[in-house]
Amino acid sequence: MFDTAPDTTGPDSTGPNTAALAIEGLHAGYDGPDVLHGITLTVPRGKIVTVVGPNGHGKSTLLRTVSGLTRLRQGRVLAGGREIQQLKPHQIAAAGIAHIPQGDLLFPEMTVYENLLMGAYNDHDSGSIAAKLDAVYALLPRLRERHAQIASSLSGGERRMVGIGRGLMAGADVMMIDEPSLGLAPLVIEQIYEVIGNLREEGRTILLVEENPARVAHLSDEIHLLDDGHFVWSGPAAEILERDELLATYLGG
Amino acid sequence: MDTFIAILATGLTNGALYALATVGLSLIWGSMGMLNMAHGAMLALGGYVVFSVSTTLGLPVWTGVLAAALAGALAGAILYITVVRSLLRTAGPGFETSVMIATVGIAIALQNALLLVYGGQPLSQPFRVDGNVRLGEGVMPTLNIVIILVALVVMAGLGLLISRTRMGRAIRATAQNRDAALLMGVPVERTYLQVLALSGALAGICGVLVSSVTQLSPTLGADPMLKAFIMCVVAGLGNLPGAVISAFGLALIEAGVQYGLGARWGFPVLLMLVIAILIWRPNGLFGRAQIRRM
Repeated sequence: MFDTAPDTTGPDSTGPNTAALAIEGLHAGYDGPDVLHGITLTVPRGKIVTVVGPNGHGKSTLLRTVSGLTRLRQGRVLAGGREIQQLKPHQIAAAGIAHIPQGDLLFPEMTVYENLLMGAYNDHDSGSIAAKLDAVYALLPRLRERHAQIASSLSGGERRMVGIGRGLMAGADVMMIDEPSLGLAPLVIEQIYEVIGNLREEGRTILLVEENPARVAHLSDEIHLLDDGHFVWSGPAAEILERDELLATYLGG
Repeated sequence: MDTFIAILATGLTNGALYALATVGLSLIWGSMGMLNMAHGAMLALGGYVVFSVSTTLGLPVWTGVLAAALAGALAGAILYITVVRSLLRTAGPGFETSVMIATVGIAIALQNALLLVYGGQPLSQPFRVDGNVRLGEGVMPTLNIVIILVALVVMAGLGLLISRTRMGRAIRATAQNRDAALLMGVPVERTYLQVLALSGALAGICGVLVSSVTQLSPTLGADPMLKAFIMCVVAGLGNLPGAVISAFGLALIEAGVQYGLGARWGFPVLLMLVIAILIWRPNGLFGRAQIRRM
């Protein structure tokens, strides 16, 4: 499954063949039994890997475990070849993993601009922050118009854009985006996926989570179908849409 | 006319003191849902530190004030490291109750430590400004003007810190959404430490100012702490600008009632007013819709 066996000896292992993010045999859960039972996946540099599956089967838990918000019980997580599963969430963010959580989790009483600045919290260079801010405004021009507005007063689509923009401000190696279409009107979902399409063209490395593969297949390089804490199918993105029986079984057609 | 000046002088001075105490309480509450019952004892600590540094050691008064702020910050940091941090990790949803009970205990211990070291008899403290300033037909003690100015400068400084700096942004971010702050790379435990140290420094300075109009006693923080808690609730817990406005407003009303009806009516009228406000607006004057359950 891995192109190269991840090597954890040190910074030398961040060669071009090392996966940007590798998850090996990950078990995780909350108070009760495991929600995830041994997840293994690799996100190569510049690729978009998508996890699809019904709600409540561990997709968000997977992302929360990678970013350290949920405790990992077993397995390894490697960012650019370096083990990060024992780090605290703020250290994992600093290690180059940007998590754009489900439901945005914006800072509701801050302006759009301040929310974006928080995304670059670990960046101490004001020049690089300004450059990233310009890039975000270029990708999401709406945010420039709204920069002085309080986040809680934005529309759902605008909030999602702030969430994505804030994630971009981290300048992270890997972005993990959790259900960017959740709770949005179809027209707005299209806009959001246009933005993700642009990110793909920029060559970003993304681990995407979505309930329905139909919306994301054309954007993804590889798709994993997650059901009850296991991957029940993995393969090239284009293939999943051909597999009617999979969609019918796991996603109700 | 001099009654008006007198009410204004008392109201603004008390308002400045209450505001400083309120902001310290409100900062911690807003950031981490912690009601620091030891805040009053930390006020007393500040008052005694300025006494030790300036009266006993004979150093200039301003170093004493600085030392009081530092001692308060240190006390806040120690409170966090020894008690609050482990409660945050282990108490889960019971944190708000556990930390309240724990800080009541710490307040008692700190007050008794002060009693042990300095004795029970009231001491007069070295932060004093003599003289009066004529305002039209009335007079206002220069000390009161200094208190108001110091409180305003300290609060303006805090306001700038919270609204303009990277550290302040991290404090607000953590208060508004802890998980999101972690995902942005904010070391949230360090942010909490900063909040408690900041609040402690405010308590230290506030204690110096309070004891300059009263006297030094281990329980000197009790009254400002009680009033500050009331003002926090009126403002809407965690709202800093609201806390300052409420503190000045209520202090002016209290002073007016004390002059008009007699001193003993000040506090009862204040409480009646607070009850009325909370019936009208359960989340406080400036509070958001969310209600925290205690």
